[in-house]
Amino acid sequence: EDAERISSADVAVVEARRRLLEEWFAWREAITQEVAEEREIYGLPADPAAELIKAKDAEHAGDAEEQVIE
Amino acid sequence: MRPILLSGHERALTQIKYNRDGDLLFSVSKDQQICVWFAHNGERLGTYHGHQGAIWTIDVDPTSTILASGSADNTIRLWEIKTGRLLKTWDFPTAVKRVEFSEDGSKLLGVTEKRMGHLGTIVVLDIKLDVDAEQSDEKVMTIVCEDSKPTVAGWSYLSKYIIAGHEDGSISQFDGKNGDLLYNIPIHELNQPITDLQWSHDRTYFITASKDKTSKLITAKDLEVLKTYPADTPLNSATITRKKDYVILGGGQAAMDVTTTSARQGKFEARFYHKIFESEIGRVRGHFGPLNTVAADPTGKSYASGGEDGYVRIHHFDKGYYDFMYEVERERQNKLNQQQQQQAATA
Repeated sequence: EDAERISSADVAVVEARRRLLEEWFAWREAITQEVAEEREIYGLPADPAAELIKAKDAEHAGDAEEQVIE
Repeated sequence: MRPILLSGHERALTQIKYNRDGDLLFSVSKDQQICVWFAHNGERLGTYHGHQGAIWTIDVDPTSTILASGSADNTIRLWEIKTGRLLKTWDFPTAVKRVEFSEDGSKLLGVTEKRMGHLGTIVVLDIKLDVDAEQSDEKVMTIVCEDSKPTVAGWSYLSKYIIAGHEDGSISQFDGKNGDLLYNIPIHELNQPITDLQWSHDRTYFITASKDKTSKLITAKDLEVLKTYPADTPLNSATITRKKDYVILGGGQAAMDVTTTSARQGKFEARFYHKIFESEIGRVRGHFGPLNTVAADPTGKSYASGGEDGYVRIHHFDKGYYDFMYEVERERQNKLNQQQQQQAATA
C-alpha cells in the first residue's frame, strides 16, 4: 500500500512536470512567432547582432584586400 | 566541472560579462580596474585604465568592438576592446550603477545613483559602433524616477521597452522610444532591493535577483512572473544558461551582516535551478565571500562568478552536465527526434 502511495505521488510529480514543460514551450513558440512578426513589420533583421557582425567582417575583409594591393 | 581561478583584481568584483561569442570575459571591481580574460583558459588579455573610482558595471556591444563602463567617478566611458583606447567619457552628477547596450548596439542606457538632491535616473545615449567615429555628447533621453530609485535596467527585444528594477522591490516597464512609464509592479518583497536583471538570449524575458532571497523569471511584454526560485540567502545576481534550461543564482550574507561568517554559514555558493521546474539542482562552492555577480556563457560552454573575495571563477561544463535530463525532458526529446526522423523519411 505504501509502495502504491509513493508511486502515485511520483506519477503526480511527473505529470506536473510534463504540464510545466508543455506550458513553457507553448509560450516560447507563441512569443517567438509574435516577435518575429514584429521584426518583419519594422523591417528589422531576425538577428540584429548577426547582421552587424556580418557587416563588420565584410568591412575587415575589405581592409585586408587593400593591404594586399599596396 | 573544472574551475579556473582568475586573480587579477584586488577588491570585490561588481560585474562580469561574456561577449557574444563567449570567448572573452570582462570583469570590473571596486579596485578601479577593468580586466578582459580568455574564457577558455583564464589568461588575462589586458586591462583598461582611466576610471578614478570603483567601477560598478560594464557591457560589451554585440560585435565585441566597444566596451562601456560605469563608475563611482560619475562617468560612463567607452573603450576600444582591441586596443584598450578610451574613446569617450560622459559626466554625470552621481555614480553610474548599470550600463547596457541595446540588442543592435545603437543605444546605451545608464542608471545613475540617487544622492545629494539628485534623483535616480535612467539615461540613454546614442552609440556609433565605430571606434573612429565621434560619439555624441547629448543624452537622447532621461527618465527620472521620483518614487523608488532604479538599481538595475536593461533593453528588451526590439529595444521596445526599458525594464528597470528598483530599490523598493518593484519592476518598471518604460517605453523604449519616449521613456513613458507604462507599468510599475511590486514583484519582490517591499523594500528589498532588486540587485540584478539579466536577459534571455532573445530579450523576451529576464531574470531578477533580490535581497528578499528570491529570483524571478519575468516576461518583458506583460511583466508576468513566470517562475520563482527561492534561496536561503540574499541574492546579488542571477543568470539564464543556454543549451540547458537552468538558471544560476549567486549571493550570500555579507560579513558585516553576521557576527561570525564562515564559508558555510555565509552560503557562498552558486546555485543551479531548473528554469522550468523551479527545483534546485545543485550548488558550486569555491568563493570565500558572497557572490556579487554571475554570468552564463552565451554559447553554453561555461559560467563564471565574481566574488566579494576579489576572485573570478570560470567553470566549464562537463559531459554529465549536458547529459543530465529529467524524465519528462528526455521523453520530449525522444518525441522530437522521432518526429524529425519521420519528416526526414517522408521528405
